[in-house]
Amino acid sequence: MADAIKSDRVATPIPAKAGIGLRAEHYREVTDSQPPVGWLEVHSENYFGDGGAPLEYLEQAREHYPISLHGVGLSIGSSDPLSRRHLEKLKSLIQRFEPGLVSDHLSWSSVDGSYLNDLLPLPYTEEALRHFAKRVQQAQDYLGREILIENPSSYLQYTHSTIPEWEFLAEVARIAGCGILLDINNIHVSAMNHGYDAQQYLRAIPANKVREMHLAGFTINRYPEGEILIDTHNAPVAEEVWALYRQAVKRLGSLPTLIEWDTDLPPLPVLLDEARRADEIMEKAHALLA
Amino acid sequence: MPSLLELQREFSEGILHSAGPEFLQKVRPGRFAPERHFQIYRNNVFESLTSALKAVYPVTGRLVGEGFFRYAAASYIPLHRPESGNLHDFGEHFASFLAGFPPARELSYLPDVARLEWAMQESFHAGFGQPLALATLSSIPEREYGNLRFRLQPSARLLASSYPILRIWQVNQPDYAGDQTINLDEGGVKLLVIRHEDVEILPLGEGDYSLLCAFAAGATFAQGAKAAMDAQRDFDLTGALARHVQQATLLDSEIERK
Repeated sequence: MADAIKSDRVATPIPAKAGIGLRAEHYREVTDSQPPVGWLEVHSENYFGDGGAPLEYLEQAREHYPISLHGVGLSIGSSDPLSRRHLEKLKSLIQRFEPGLVSDHLSWSSVDGSYLNDLLPLPYTEEALRHFAKRVQQAQDYLGREILIENPSSYLQYTHSTIPEWEFLAEVARIAGCGILLDINNIHVSAMNHGYDAQQYLRAIPANKVREMHLAGFTINRYPEGEILIDTHNAPVAEEVWALYRQAVKRLGSLPTLIEWDTDLPPLPVLLDEARRADEIMEKAHALLA
Repeated sequence: MPSLLELQREFSEGILHSAGPEFLQKVRPGRFAPERHFQIYRNNVFESLTSALKAVYPVTGRLVGEGFFRYAAASYIPLHRPESGNLHDFGEHFASFLAGFPPARELSYLPDVARLEWAMQESFHAGFGQPLALATLSSIPEREYGNLRFRLQPSARLLASSYPILRIWQVNQPDYAGDQTINLDEGGVKLLVIRHEDVEILPLGEGDYSLLCAFAAGATFAQGAKAAMDAQRDFDLTGALARHVQQATLLDSEIERK
């Protein structure tokens, strides 16, 4: 019987509403109480095991919500070949859960087979652009579907980078034919850290390629020379980021928007309040247009 | 201009060991010196990998304390970097690392506690196989038993230690409220780690441990029974088999008759 339900399941598109990240601390509460939120996103790699509680909870959650699979470990920008094992795991997860969206990052995390488990910065050069776009195509061909590429938070720039990040991201989407996951918090964090204009970033992103947005909280590291913003996903969305999000919604329209909170998780109602706020911003923008 | 590969190698080397002046020249001095910009990544990498180890080894962490654990993790990470983009695979060699880690030499039981925690981590993410049913067992004529080969649940892990690591593990649970004393000389323990609803740690007798080790190594029932009886003269084979069927330790589909 359970098998019959599974095989009837089709990919449920992610609605243009706010969603929340499903994390282990909230598994039971979310599956028991089924809170009113448009969709759920999970980190794909957390479900690469052969069995156990994570997959069982995701099965239950999938019965009630559209799911988005967000990867942090495909290491698309690495000079190593794409990991076959990683792609196989991801593909079988896609076949099992029929996610509405699948995404990973504009970054690299491994070299010579060793992983650093972080979203490391690429040099924005012609070489890296061709390499990255080709690898996105390889991943999409293997997975048989579109993936989204997310702009990371960054804390350094290379002297030999020649392309602004926003152009690099737009070009990747154009060449590889992938979608964009626009992280509004990351635009703010990187713009503050590198002194560039978040508005300019936003304006340069091709609206027809953006399929999803992320919102999260950051931390400020203070040094004698000044502040660096760190993308820690451990706090409410900052007011400056909400302001930038309002502009993004005005420009891009309503889109699936994730409240991303990964460490020092608050009680579930706090996440739902943040999601409601994103929904209200989208509804308001829609009402103005109407 | 460095190639992407060269840059990534230098970056990785800089994270795990130290960033040389040649690499730092490739980092644009922005609002801060290149070292400061790069240091953020170094911190992020060590912080996230240390947290990942802490999540797998909470009891090991409690036993040595926060500062020592962070020190051990910082030494472990460059030696045994993750080999996949799935963090669940990370930390496999921590027990053997601790066994050879000079500052932990006095804590002779520590590597075995870490082995127990890694077994629990593997068990947590393992698959689940259809358990052996009594009906299957009784459908097989008894004279054929000797040649059967049983397979264990994918979540089953067997461990032996000459220290009371189960008691150490129990006493170091956050909600433990009982007697804190542990006598390290109270003797060793043989354990089965297996996932039912949750991951469980079950103490095994000598015979039972030998029986399951034999099954895990692919021995026949007759060979396993002999190993069990050799290890424990009063071993109750029928009772043990019934218990393992009841506890879903053995798999149904994998019974091989030969």
